Amino acid sequence: MLIDKVISSEASSSEYVLDARDVLAGYGSKTILHELNLHIRPGEIYALLGANGAGKTTTLSLFLGFLAPQSGLVRVNGIDPFTRPTEARKNFAYIPENVALYEHLSARENVAYLLDLAGQHEDASTISNALAAAGLDSSAFDLRVGGFSKGMRQKVAIALALARKVPALLLDEPTSGLDPQATTEFNRLLGLLRQQGVAILMVTHDLLSAADIADRIGFLEAGRLVEEVAAQGQDRFDVRNLHRRYAGQAI
Amino acid sequence: MSWLSHELRLLQRSHLSIIALILLFLLSGLAVWSGLKEIKHQHDTIARLAPLQEQDLAAVAKTYSNAANAGYPAYYTFYSTWDTPSDAAFLSIGIRDSAPYVLRVRALGLQAQLYEGEIFNPELALPGRFDFAFVLIYLTPLFIIALMHDMISGEQQSGRLRLLVSLPEGRLVWLRRTSLRFVLVLMCLVIPVLLGATITSTNLSSLSIIMAVISSYVAFWFGLTLLITTQGWRSVTNATALMSVWVLLTLVLPSLANVALLRAVPVHQGVDLMLAQRQAVHGAWEVPREETMQRFFVHHPEWSGTAPLPQDFHWKWYFAFHQLGDESVAPLANAYRAGLLERQAWTNRLGWLLPGVGAQAILHRVADTDLLAQLSYQDQIEAFHRQIREFYYAYLFEDRPFGAADFAKQPVFQPSAHNIAPPEHTFFMLILSWMVFLIGVWRLKTVRLDS
Repeated sequence: MLIDKVISSEASSSEYVLDARDVLAGYGSKTILHELNLHIRPGEIYALLGANGAGKTTTLSLFLGFLAPQSGLVRVNGIDPFTRPTEARKNFAYIPENVALYEHLSARENVAYLLDLAGQHEDASTISNALAAAGLDSSAFDLRVGGFSKGMRQKVAIALALARKVPALLLDEPTSGLDPQATTEFNRLLGLLRQQGVAILMVTHDLLSAADIADRIGFLEAGRLVEEVAAQGQDRFDVRNLHRRYAGQAI
Repeated sequence: MSWLSHELRLLQRSHLSIIALILLFLLSGLAVWSGLKEIKHQHDTIARLAPLQEQDLAAVAKTYSNAANAGYPAYYTFYSTWDTPSDAAFLSIGIRDSAPYVLRVRALGLQAQLYEGEIFNPELALPGRFDFAFVLIYLTPLFIIALMHDMISGEQQSGRLRLLVSLPEGRLVWLRRTSLRFVLVLMCLVIPVLLGATITSTNLSSLSIIMAVISSYVAFWFGLTLLITTQGWRSVTNATALMSVWVLLTLVLPSLANVALLRAVPVHQGVDLMLAQRQAVHGAWEVPREETMQRFFVHHPEWSGTAPLPQDFHWKWYFAFHQLGDESVAPLANAYRAGLLERQAWTNRLGWLLPGVGAQAILHRVADTDLLAQLSYQDQIEAFHRQIREFYYAYLFEDRPFGAADFAKQPVFQPSAHNIAPPEHTFFMLILSWMVFLIGVWRLKTVRLDS
């Protein structure tokens, strides 16, 4: 398999906010990821695609600090997320596939509560600004999130990430279950974060959405990063060609 | 504190948690109120004794002030004895609801009088009393289970777990929630207790031990719930496991231990002592009087030099065979007492392993409402009864006349102070409970984050 390394392995690790080098990882004696090398710069969106079981969630778990690599190196803004989880978690925000919030709390209260768990105590106006920047209608700020759609919940999670002002964002299937309009809106928000210099790792099945927003796309196959392509600029890949190539893996 | 307001808001929006806490507070308050009411009733009963005693004595004095000897006053005069409840008794009624706290005795055989109360409606004791100890030992764990069983699994099942633990202080959320619930449960229990203690002016040392027992027992159950809820099971599994542990620790094991104890340490009923003593007394009428007196003088040689019995009835013979009746059942009485004490000792030992049993035993001891308190009251009655006998024997055996002035010389019962030294297992029970709590808190570190 051709591994199209867009990022030079010679680059210094401090250049990358999210950095995985020669990582072997798995559960128990079972190895899921083989020699993963993944490097994401500030202001870059990286979409990681692959079939179910390819190792996408395991990759996220490594950066989240939920899983220790069997060998190799994982860093978030230069910090090992497994051995120094609290420090590492100050440097990223995570949005799971299904954003589950506290149903009995309003959007504003959810953000305030989760910010508190992030060690930040923002005033009401900062939270309102973050919710507005995330595209949530102001009339929903004080509504209980029990009645929110998936798109609205994701906006609350994005607002949390915006308010936290972290250098990295980890996204797990962010556009799964969103309608096209909500997906477009979500991608606009990611673009906003990219402009702010946030490094974004997005694990997804959605090639089209990834092609729209990502700067680079990596393909995981049986735990190996088999290809990396540029999604923007002159070297931009051909989506239809790529889809044909990986369609059998249901990416 | 910001985190506290956030957690309080979350808890406040959870109606079931709020209802559980309010219910616990009401039950605790009701138990304290009920205990205060019962203890006031007992105080009132004791307060009524003195005027009744005076009336009774006046009636006997009026009738027998010119009696030739002391036999009639000795036979007809009843003397009140009482066991004043301690200032902490309202929390734990113990056996004060079934064992007598007031007893009127006279100079006749004591054993029959001591256990006469046992024939009165023993079924009353079966359901037990609704007091604070009951709320703490049996009901509080259920509320802790209701508040804690889904603390972690609820987050997992709702899909919030990964988001929560991805936050820098996400791991602290369990500690925050546990601390908040712990404090709220403690407040629900402690506030009514403090109000009750203020009303009864409970002494500080008793109150300190009671507070230590309450907080330790609550800590034990919080620790236990953490040990189970950190296993990564579903909420319903946690609730089932915790309920099973509750049934085992508060109902099954204490019941089995009690049955084992009843079999291992057989003890006759006090009423058996009463019957044996009465048989001995009634049998004395068939025994030659001189023989009875000689047997009496063996143990009471101080009266052997007194005048011999006349041909007709003499009260000293009557009281002598009553005392011999008591002495004939003395080995039985000693065995009965030893058996009860042995059972109490084994119950205390059980308290080393079962915190519910241990906490209950400590509360009963500090409230001075347990078996030891009852035996201590019996000791006081026996000592007082000895004074009554010795008072009358001087008149009866020396054939001294008993006039109106002698009524005023009669002994008066003086209850002794309460002994509230906590049992030996107290310290161990407190340490064990807090150890379980700390292990539970430590287990919070092991919550699976990748589930």
